[in-house]
Amino acid sequence: MTATISVSNLSKHYKVPEREGGMKAAVASLFNRKYRTVKAVDDVSFSIEPGEVVGFLGPNGAGKTTTLKVLSGLLHPTSGSVTVLGFEPYKRPHAYLRQVALVMGNRNQLSWDLPAIDSFELQRAIYGIPVSEFKKTRDDFIDLLELKDLVNKPIRNLSLGERMKMEIVGALLHRPKVLFLDEPTIGLDVTMQRRIRTFIKEYNQRWGVTVLLTSHYMADVEALCKRVIVIHHGRTLFDGELSSLVTQFSSFKTLGVTLPNPEVDLSQYGEVLTRDGARVTLRVSKARTSQVTANLLSDLQVDDLTVEDTPIDDVIDSVFTSNEETK
Amino acid sequence: MNPIKLALTYLRIGVLNEMQYRINFFIQLLQSFISVATGLIGLSLVFGQVTTLAGWSRSELLAVMGVHLLMGGVIRSLIQPNMERLMDDVRNGTLDFALTKPADAQTLVSVREFRFWQLVDVIVGIVIISLAFYELKGTLGFLQLLGFLAALIMGGVMLYCVWLMVTSISFWVIRVQEISNLFEGLYAAGRWPVGIYPDWLRTGLTFLVPVAFAVTVPAEALTNRLSGTSLLFALGMTVLFVFLARGLWLLGLSNYSGASS
Repeated sequence: MTATISVSNLSKHYKVPEREGGMKAAVASLFNRKYRTVKAVDDVSFSIEPGEVVGFLGPNGAGKTTTLKVLSGLLHPTSGSVTVLGFEPYKRPHAYLRQVALVMGNRNQLSWDLPAIDSFELQRAIYGIPVSEFKKTRDDFIDLLELKDLVNKPIRNLSLGERMKMEIVGALLHRPKVLFLDEPTIGLDVTMQRRIRTFIKEYNQRWGVTVLLTSHYMADVEALCKRVIVIHHGRTLFDGELSSLVTQFSSFKTLGVTLPNPEVDLSQYGEVLTRDGARVTLRVSKARTSQVTANLLSDLQVDDLTVEDTPIDDVIDSVFTSNEETK
Repeated sequence: MNPIKLALTYLRIGVLNEMQYRINFFIQLLQSFISVATGLIGLSLVFGQVTTLAGWSRSELLAVMGVHLLMGGVIRSLIQPNMERLMDDVRNGTLDFALTKPADAQTLVSVREFRFWQLVDVIVGIVIISLAFYELKGTLGFLQLLGFLAALIMGGVMLYCVWLMVTSISFWVIRVQEISNLFEGLYAAGRWPVGIYPDWLRTGLTFLVPVAFAVTVPAEALTNRLSGTSLLFALGMTVLFVFLARGLWLLGLSNYSGASS
């Protein structure tokens, strides 16, 4: 099977004008502009198979959005090669654009003053979707996301979450084979996030669509993506199964201990993370976990004890910070 | 996707939506009334002093005013709203959505907005032109009408091209909102035939902001002043403007990288 998305040695550098603050520097920059090269993406390679849902992780400014923009044809790569569905995205051939969709959580494409139903009609015209197919897809999506009562209201009268659902419907009406989602759940409440996640999952499973997703909410990634690509400062730090990210980067487990006597000092057993009344959480290295657990139970009177993997958020955080330190 | 079908879809949805805001119709009517009234006062002031102005009689200048109003309506209903949205899109990075569509991006950004009620100016313009014609007791021959329509369309296309070129500058400088105001000021000069202005201004109004082609030339066609050579010259200018605008647009687009990277 050939890969749907294949990126090799992709770099995208920007030249940005640079000046110091103040009037003098502002005037000087009018005549003699200094430029600085920003390596937004620096030698990144990966390939994604048809039907995969891949999480694209990294802190702000890591190069995620830049990569998505290169993939969706908005930016020319500085170097390296990118093919998606056999096309070179930067040429923006219509045959390619017809098969992909870009959804950005922080930007709207649907017209503010129009009811969604009209914007959908415009999407139909732009993509040249046959009317019967369009109606079926549209009504399916409206049902799935429970939007029936909202499609006739102008977008500006909808809540953020409702608007995002409409955005997703609008972006998927032409049934793209590849979906680029940039922070699709940003700013939404937990219920709405879950709703959108479920929808994406269903869309992926039903149509075998390939999805590349960026999100700051690990819940999104855990629910949708088996595989993650972690980038930082424009470089790939990790590419593989989400579960192996945890084993590879987290050498700790978290023990939760509830004691009848909260005064007891537990620092000899491990690093005390939190202390909330009778409940104490400890960070213990994986190798010592069973030993420490046994000691705790034999040394003290314990009401409750839990052993958990480090939350994924903390793992990601430690990936970024460890990379920062080795730099 | 057929660009004409696409434009018509946008037009239809734009009209349907604007119909909901009927109050805009009355506001627009009032605005048209005010501009007609001030125009007429201006004319009567001038013709209180003289009997012709640079070879144009009062009734002929009424025709110029009608064309100016008509073209102004076209600009405000079709051209300006699209270009202003394009400026916003460039600034906010939402142009990305237009560029990821399987349609010619220039066509798409030029047909998305339509202010239906601004067409009131077009109707009022036609009424004024008819009135002028009635006063002139002229007859409108078929060729004359054809020349007028051709001049009008070419003028409109040229104005669109200038707007697009100016808007394309937003790819480099991001903030060009003030340019709409500048444009409006220059367009206001078209209320009078460009022949009355000093040379330097006339040149500017002909080649930089082609108000001369958009208003004076169609009015010349109506009042039997237009020669075939002028019309041919207008055609040449239209072709030139279309190419320049397309070129600058494509150049701007290749420079575009979204508001955030």
